[in-house]
Amino acid sequence: MESTEFSSDHLDVLRELMNIAMGNATASIADLLQAFGTMHIPHISISDMDGLKSYIEEAVPSDQHSYVTKQLFGGVFGGEFVFVMTNESAANLGHYLYDVDVPSDADILDAVIELTNILSSTIISRLTEELNTKVQFFPPSTEIISGNNLISQEETLNYHRIIIVSTVMEFQSHKISGQIFILTKDGMIQRLRELIDQKLEELYA
Amino acid sequence: MKVLVVDDSKLARLTLIKTLKEYEPSAEILEAENGAVAVEVFQAESPRVVFLDLTMPVMDGFEALERMMHINPKAQVVVVSADIQTQAQERVLALGAKLMVPKPINADKMLGVLQQLVF
Repeated sequence: MESTEFSSDHLDVLRELMNIAMGNATASIADLLQAFGTMHIPHISISDMDGLKSYIEEAVPSDQHSYVTKQLFGGVFGGEFVFVMTNESAANLGHYLYDVDVPSDADILDAVIELTNILSSTIISRLTEELNTKVQFFPPSTEIISGNNLISQEETLNYHRIIIVSTVMEFQSHKISGQIFILTKDGMIQRLRELIDQKLEELYA
Repeated sequence: MKVLVVDDSKLARLTLIKTLKEYEPSAEILEAENGAVAVEVFQAESPRVVFLDLTMPVMDGFEALERMMHINPKAQVVVVSADIQTQAQERVLALGAKLMVPKPINADKMLGVLQQLVF
C-alpha cells in the first residue's frame, strides 16, 4: 500500500526547498521593480478541501476584488500554481511596471500576468530542480473575483487530499504584495513524498 | 574549532554540517534553530565561525547578526540564505557579515567560504 503520510522531516524539506525557490523568484522581481522584497517563511500543510477553503479564507481578503491567476504544471510531479493579488496591489504593480499614474485595466492585467509568469516559472522550476525532476507548464488563466472564494465547487469534487504550499510576495515600498499557493493533490502527493525521500537518502548517505 | 550553524530548517543545517565536515572533520558543531537561540549560544560559546540563515521565526538573521556583532565585532559570520537580493547582501555586509552565500550550499561554495575565513 502506498503511503501519503508526511513526517516532520518531509515537511521541513518541502519548506526549505520552497524557501530557496521563493528567494530566486523574489530576486527576479526585485530586479524588475527595482525594490527590496521581504522574504516570509513558507507555510506547508496537508489538508482536505474544507481545510483548504478555510485556509484561503484566512489568507485572502473577503472584502476586496482580487486578480487570481491559475496555472497547471505536470510531469513526474504536478499540481496547480495559484497567485492572488488584490486590486490595489495589481494597480500599484501596473503603475510601476508601465510608469504611468493611472494604468488601464489592460495594463494591469498584463502586468499581473507578467509577474505571475516570472513567479510560477521561477518557483516551480527551482523547486523541481532541487527535487531532481522536471515539469511542463500549461497556459495560465487570470480572472478577477470578488472576495476569497477561489476554489469552485467543481474543483472541490475533483480533489481529495491536498498539500498547501503558500507564501507571501511583498514589496512594501511599492505597496505590492500577493499570496502564492501551490496545490498538489491525490497521486502527486505520493510522488512528491518519493522525491523528498530520495533527497533525504542522499543527505543521510 | 567551534562552529555555530543557525537555520530553522533541519535539512539546511544537516546539509551545511555534512558539507563542512568534509573539509573540517574535527569542527565542533553547535546548532540553533532561530536567531534568538543563536545569540544565546553565540554569547555562551564564542564560536569561531557562524553560518547564519536570514528568514527565520522568533528572530530573523538580520537582527541576530546585529546582536552578534555588538557582542563581538570581530565575529566571523557567514550568511547562508535563499534571499539573494542585492539589497539583502548589502545590508548583511554593512552589518558586519564576512560573506554571504546563496542557498543551497555545496562543496564548492563551502571550499570558497573556508578559504576566506581566518582560523
